[in-house]
Order: sequence, then structure tokens, then C-alpha cells
Amino acid sequence: MAVTTVPHAGVHDDGPDQLYVETRELRLQGFLLFLVSDVVLFSSFIFAYLYLRNTGNVWPPPGINRLDVAFAAFNSMVLFGSGCTMHYALENWKHNNFVKYAWCMIATIVLGAMFLGGQGYEYTTLYFRDHVSWGGSGIFGASFFTLTGMHGFHVAVGVVYLTVLLLQSLAGTYTKDKFFGLTAGTLYWHFVDVIWVVLFSIFYLI
Amino acid sequence: MNWVIVERSVAAVGSVVVFVVAVIALKNDWKTPGIENHVFKIMLGLLALGGIIAFLAGIDVLGRFGGAA
Repeated sequence: MAVTTVPHAGVHDDGPDQLYVETRELRLQGFLLFLVSDVVLFSSFIFAYLYLRNTGNVWPPPGINRLDVAFAAFNSMVLFGSGCTMHYALENWKHNNFVKYAWCMIATIVLGAMFLGGQGYEYTTLYFRDHVSWGGSGIFGASFFTLTGMHGFHVAVGVVYLTVLLLQSLAGTYTKDKFFGLTAGTLYWHFVDVIWVVLFSIFYLI
Repeated sequence: MNWVIVERSVAAVGSVVVFVVAVIALKNDWKTPGIENHVFKIMLGLLALGGIIAFLAGIDVLGRFGGAA
């Protein structure tokens, strides 16, 4: 009977680089599965919102002001812009432009934090000026704050994640050939961008 | 200062920049192999779509109906 040995960090003959090559595809597939599970999570809430919205005759419900499209479009641009800077951060890393990479990462983190600040401003305005809340405004408030809050949580996690990635890259954790963490970070950030394209459309535009 | 005009202007100009950058990145990555690059292409395409949507919202073409102001 053939015996298969499992490579292990530290005892493998070719060292951790060989282990990295062998496990990279598996880690990538695992990360993509995580993103797919997040897509399912958001999709279930989005379809629930669309279903509930279509059951009402008037939308938004009486007594609730329409959402501020101009500010939301501005805030969306902040997030979409961060998607572009994140993409070029990874490209610069691949092409050994470390300084440009670092600036692109910093820009992404700052823009992500700005988006969260904008969302906080919007929540505050909705709560104090328009008296819209999660529990007190029916389906509209519950759907809006649940979905945008869930997305905001993902952005907040992403900002922390990218900050950790930047610090790791400054500390020399990644090399030109070993940078799976940066690839995963870029995939994650594009994911939160794409989710916002959908949320922006369904809450503010249709 | 009318902040709505400022917000709409920044959104419109920014969305054009995002669209152009996303399309250029998509073009550069078009022939790159690998699963992650295929996912990047899908996401860059959707980012470009987001740029178009935000541009239309910025110039007040979209967002005038339903739940939007």
C-alpha cells in the first residue's frame, strides 16, 4: 500500500517556499469559497428586502423621507475609488514598486475610513433629523440599517485587514513571489465594492 | 455653498475616473491566467458598472424615482 506523506512546515526538504506553492491554490479556493458564502448571505437579505418592498403599495413608507442620493453617490465614489487604489497597490507590488504600493495601500485605507465616516454621518442624519431607526421604521428601517450596517461592518473589517497587510508588508512578511495575503486582501476589497454597487442601486436609485 | 451640487459634481467626475481606471485595469489583466485573475476581471467589470451607475446618479438621471430623492 502506498503511503503518502504530508509536507509540514519546518521539516519539508524544500522549506516553506515549496509548501507555499503547494498550498496556494487550496488557500485561494478556500478564500473564494468564503467570498461565495458572503455573496449568499448578502443575497438572502437583498432578496428579502426586494420581496418585502414589492409587497408595499407606497415606497418609502409614509412618514419616511426619501434618501439623500447626492451624498450617497459621493460616498460611493469614495469606496469605488478605494477599489481602484487597492487594485493598483497589488499591481505595484507585483512590479516591485514598493513605494507606490505603500501609497496606494494608505490611500485605500484612508478612503475606506472616509466611507465609514460618511456612512456614520448618513446614519446620524437619518436618526436625528428624519427619525428613521432600525427598530422604529418598519421594513424600510430594518432592511436599510441591516444591509448597509452589514456592509459597513465588512468595510470596517477590511480597513483593519488592509492595515495589518500593510504593516506585514513593511515588516517583510511578503516577497515578490509570496504575496497571497495581498491577493486575498484585494479580492476582499473588490468584493465589498461590488456589494455596494448593488446596495447603492436598490436603496437609492430604484 | 450648495453641498448637493458639490456632492453631485464630485460623484460625476469621480465616477468617470473610476470607470476609466477600471477599464484600463481590465484591459491590462485581460489575458492574465489564473483563478484569482478571472475573479479580478469580473470584479473590475462590476466596478466599471458601478462607475456608470454613480455617474448617472451624479448627473441626476438615476435616483429620481421610488425610494430616492
